[in-house]
Amino acid sequence: MKCKLMSLGLAALLPLAAAAQPNFSGKTVTIIVGYKAGGGYDATARLLARHLPKHIPGKPTVIVQNMPGANSIIAANHIYNVAKPDGLTIGTFNRNLPIAQLTKVEGVKFDITKFQWVGSAANESTILAIRTDLPYKTFDELRKAKQTVVIGSTGPGANTHDFPLLLKELLGLNFKIVSGYSSSADIMLAVERKEVDGRAGSYTSLRPFIDRGLVRPIVRARSTEPGIDKLPADEDAAPNARAKAIMALRSAPEQVARPYVLPPATPAEIVKVMRDAFAKAIQDPELDAEGKKAKLDLEYLPGDQAQKILVQVLQQPQDIVAEFSKYIKFGE
Amino acid sequence: MHKSAAVGLSISVMLVSGYAVFAATAWPWKAALFPLVIGIPLFCLAATELLWSLLGAEPPSAPNEVELSTDAAARRRVVRVAAWMAGFFVAIALLGFPIAVPLFVFLYLKLQGGEGWVLSIVLTAAVAAAFYGLFDALLHLPFPAGWLWSWLGLA
Amino acid sequence: MSEALLEGLVLVLQWKALAFMMLGIVLGFWVGLLPGLGGATTLALMLPFIYNMQPVEAFAFLLGMHAVTATTGDITSVLFGVPGEAASAATILDGHAMAKNGEAGRALGAVLASSLVGALVGAAALALAVPVVRPLVLTFGSPELFMLAIVGLAFIASLSSHGGRGLVRGFLAGLLGLLVSTVGQDPQAGVARYTFDSLYLWQGLDLVPILVGIFAIPEIIELAARGTSIAGSLPAGRISRGALEGVKDTFRHFWLTIRCSLIGTFIGIMPGLGGSVAQWMAYGHAAQSARTAEERKRFGAGDVRGVLGPGAANNSKEGGSLIPTVAFGVPGSTAMAILLGGFVLLGLVPGPDMLSKHLSVTYSMVWTIVLANVVTVVVCFLFLDQLARLTGVRGSILIPLILVLVFVGSYTSNNHYGDMVATLAFGAIGYLMVLAGWPRAPFVLGLVLGKIAENYLYISIARYEAAWLTRPVVLVLIVIAIAVIIYPLFQARRKAAHA
Repeated sequence: MKCKLMSLGLAALLPLAAAAQPNFSGKTVTIIVGYKAGGGYDATARLLARHLPKHIPGKPTVIVQNMPGANSIIAANHIYNVAKPDGLTIGTFNRNLPIAQLTKVEGVKFDITKFQWVGSAANESTILAIRTDLPYKTFDELRKAKQTVVIGSTGPGANTHDFPLLLKELLGLNFKIVSGYSSSADIMLAVERKEVDGRAGSYTSLRPFIDRGLVRPIVRARSTEPGIDKLPADEDAAPNARAKAIMALRSAPEQVARPYVLPPATPAEIVKVMRDAFAKAIQDPELDAEGKKAKLDLEYLPGDQAQKILVQVLQQPQDIVAEFSKYIKFGE
Repeated sequence: MHKSAAVGLSISVMLVSGYAVFAATAWPWKAALFPLVIGIPLFCLAATELLWSLLGAEPPSAPNEVELSTDAAARRRVVRVAAWMAGFFVAIALLGFPIAVPLFVFLYLKLQGGEGWVLSIVLTAAVAAAFYGLFDALLHLPFPAGWLWSWLGLA
Repeated sequence: MSEALLEGLVLVLQWKALAFMMLGIVLGFWVGLLPGLGGATTLALMLPFIYNMQPVEAFAFLLGMHAVTATTGDITSVLFGVPGEAASAATILDGHAMAKNGEAGRALGAVLASSLVGALVGAAALALAVPVVRPLVLTFGSPELFMLAIVGLAFIASLSSHGGRGLVRGFLAGLLGLLVSTVGQDPQAGVARYTFDSLYLWQGLDLVPILVGIFAIPEIIELAARGTSIAGSLPAGRISRGALEGVKDTFRHFWLTIRCSLIGTFIGIMPGLGGSVAQWMAYGHAAQSARTAEERKRFGAGDVRGVLGPGAANNSKEGGSLIPTVAFGVPGSTAMAILLGGFVLLGLVPGPDMLSKHLSVTYSMVWTIVLANVVTVVVCFLFLDQLARLTGVRGSILIPLILVLVFVGSYTSNNHYGDMVATLAFGAIGYLMVLAGWPRAPFVLGLVLGKIAENYLYISIARYEAAWLTRPVVLVLIVIAIAVIIYPLFQARRKAAHA
C-alpha cells in the first residue's frame, strides 16, 4: 500500500520534474561567432556545435552563424541587447572584450560581467619566442642584451604586440617593436628572412616553429601548460606591484580564452543546462580526438569562475587602469 | 550631363579630401602620414579636374568605361530603377530578406516589367526556393527579421 | 622530382579522390557564380567534413572546389557585369562590354580558355618552383613588397586615358581609392580613422560590397535605361556562336595570355599582396599592348585582350598562392589560410617537409588544379550556349534577379546591413564616375593596395631606416615602376611622331 502511494506520488512529481528541466527538442541553438569563418574562434565554435547536441536535453540542432565586425564588439552588443534570453542563442567573441570595456572603447554597449556565462572552452598561453641563431638562450640573457632585438607584431590589441610591449616598457627589455604585419604567419616568414628576430603569440601557434627549431621560447605570461611551465613568467620579473598588476591585467583574459555567454536575462535553469552540456561536450573523447586533429586544445572553465576573473579585471583601481591604457589599446 | 557629373564629383572629392586632411591633423603622426600624403595631392588633383571641367572642352571619355544612355527617356528609366533599388533595400530592412526577396521580384516583374501572371509567379517561386534552399537550409546564414516585425513585437 | 610528380598523379587518379574532386567542382561552380558567397567562406564551411578523409582526397575536394571559383566568377562578370568573386572584377570591363555587343559567346570562350591557360601556368609554377621557392620568397622582404605595391599602383597610368587630362583623372581615382583604404583602425597607433563612431567602419570597408556596387550597379542602371536585353537588339542566333572564336583569340594573343598568367602567378606567390591585385595589373598590362590610341580606346568597349588578361591572371594566382602556403605555412589569401587549416587537420605541417618528405602530396595538389580546371572548362563549354543566350533575355526579367544576387551577395560578406549601404553608395559613385569620364579601375587598385603599401612602408622604415631604399631588388622594382608609368606616355609620343 505504501509502495503504491509512493509510486503514485513519484509519478505525479515526474511531469513537474520534466517541466522544470528545460527541453530543447525540435529547436535550433545558434552559436554566434564574432569573427568570419575560418579563424580560431569559428573553428572552436563549429567543433563544439558538432558535439553539443547529444549533451543537451532534447538533442537540438546546433548551428553556427558569423557576425563579424569591430573585432566582435558588434556580436557582443547583439547578444547583450538583442538576442532573446531563451537559451537558443549563445555568443562567442574576442577574449579581449573586457579590455575594451575597461578602456572605455566607443561603441561598447555591454557589461561583460552581466552576461550569463556558460564558460570558456580553452585557455591560452602566450609566450615570446626568438630565433634560435641569436645568442640569447634564457630570459636573463635577453634582458641583458646590448643589441636591439626586433620583434614583429600585427598591431595594438593583439598579443603579438601587447605582450612584448609590456616587457619593453615595464621590464626595460631592449626591443624594437615593428608592427603592421597582416598576420602572425607573415611575422614567422619575416623571422625566417631575418627581418625580425622573434614574435610573441600563443604557444599553440608557435609550437610547429619551435619544434622545427626556428625559434626558441624565452618567457611566458601567467597561463601555463606542459611544455612551457619551466619558462620564467613575466610577472615574476616585475620590479613593483604596479607593473605586476598591469601585466596580470593584460593576461587575465587569456584564461577565458574562448568565452561563451548567454544573454543577461537568461533564466538560471537554462544557464545550468548549458554549462553542464559544455562541460560534458569538452570532456567527450570524440570531441577531444577531433580537436587534437585540428590542433584545438579545449579545456572547460566553468562560467562562474570565468565571471569571477573578469569581475576582478573590471574592478581594478583607476590609477592602474590609467597606466594600463597608456600602453594597451583595444584592437584585435 | 557628363560635364555636370564631372563638376559635381570634383567638388565632392575636394570636400572629402579637405575633410580627410583636416581630420588627420589631429592624429599622431604615424596614423596621419598616409592620409596626409594621399589627401593633399588628391585635393589638388580634384581642383585641377574641376577647373578643367569648367573651362576646358568636352573631355574624352575614360577608357574601360561604359557608354551610358542619357537621352530623356533613358533618364526617366534611370530614376525609376534607382527608386526600385532603394525600395528593395528599404523592404529588406523593414521586412527582412526572406519576405523582401520574393516580394521585390514579384512586384518588379509585374509592375515594372509588365510580365504576365504565370511568368511572374513561377520566377518568384523559383527565386524563393533557391534562396531558402541555399542560404537558409544549407548554409544557415543569419537573416534578421525586419524592423517592422520587431516594432510590432512579432519577431 | 619526376617520381614524385608521377606519384602525385597516381594519387589523384584513384576513384575516391576523383569523386571528391567532382563534388568539390560542383560546389565550387555555384560558389564562384554567386557574389558574396566567397570561396573562402565555403572552404571554411567544408573543412569539418574532411576530418575523416585521407589527405589526397581532402585536397582533391577542397582544391577542386576552390580552383573552380576563379573560372566561374568570370562567367557572371561577363554575362551580367556582377563580379562573382572579388578576383573577377576586372573581367567585367571588357567581358561585359563584349556581351553587350552581342559577343557573349566569344567573351565566354575567351575567358574559359584563358582561365585554363592561366591555371596550367600556375600549376606548372607550383610544380617547377619547388627547388627555388624558398630562396625566392625569402628574398622578398617588406621593402620589396612595398615596392611591388608601388609597381601595382604605377599600373594606374596604364589604366588611364592617354594625355594629361586622362592621367589626372586616373591618379585622382587611384588616390581616392587609397584614401578609402585608410578607413578603419590603423595598425601603428590604433587610431580609428574616419570611422565616424560607426562600429561597421571600424575594421575598414570590405572589398566585395564595394566591387559589387561600383561595377554591377551602373551596369544594372544602364540595362534598365536602355530597356532592352543585355545584348541589345542583336539577333539571338549570333550571340552564342562565338565561343570557338574566343578560344582562337586566346591563341592569337598567346604570349599576352602567358605573360598575364605569369603576372598572376608571381603576385600569387608574394604573400600578403592579396589575390585581387593580379587581375588589375594583368589588365593594365594587356591595355599596354594596344599600339595606337584608337586601339587603346577600345579597351573597355569590348576588346578581347581585356578579357584574356584578367581571365588568365585570376586563375594562375591560385597556383601561385599555394606556394607560400605549402612551403612556409604563410597563406597568400584568406582561402589559403583556410586551406592551411585543412593541412593542420590532416596532420601535414607546411614547411620544408612538404617540399621533401610529402612532395607527392604537394604534386597531387598540382594535378588536382590541372584536372579540376580542365573538367570545369569542358563542362562550361557544354553549357556555353545556354549561358550566352541569357544575354538575349529581356532586361526587365533579369534585373530583379541580378539585384537579388547583388543584395544577398553584398550582405553575406559580413552579415551586416552596412555592406548593402556601402554597395548602394559606391553604386551611385560608380555611376557618377562613369558619367564624368573617371576611370574606376585605378580606384579599385588604390583600394586594394592601400593597406599593403602603408603597412610595408612602416615596417621597412622601422626595421631598416633609410637603408631599405638601396637594397638591390628594391632598386630593380623602382626602375620597373618608372618604366610602367612612362610606357604609355612613350607610346603616345611615338604614335604622334609617326602621324
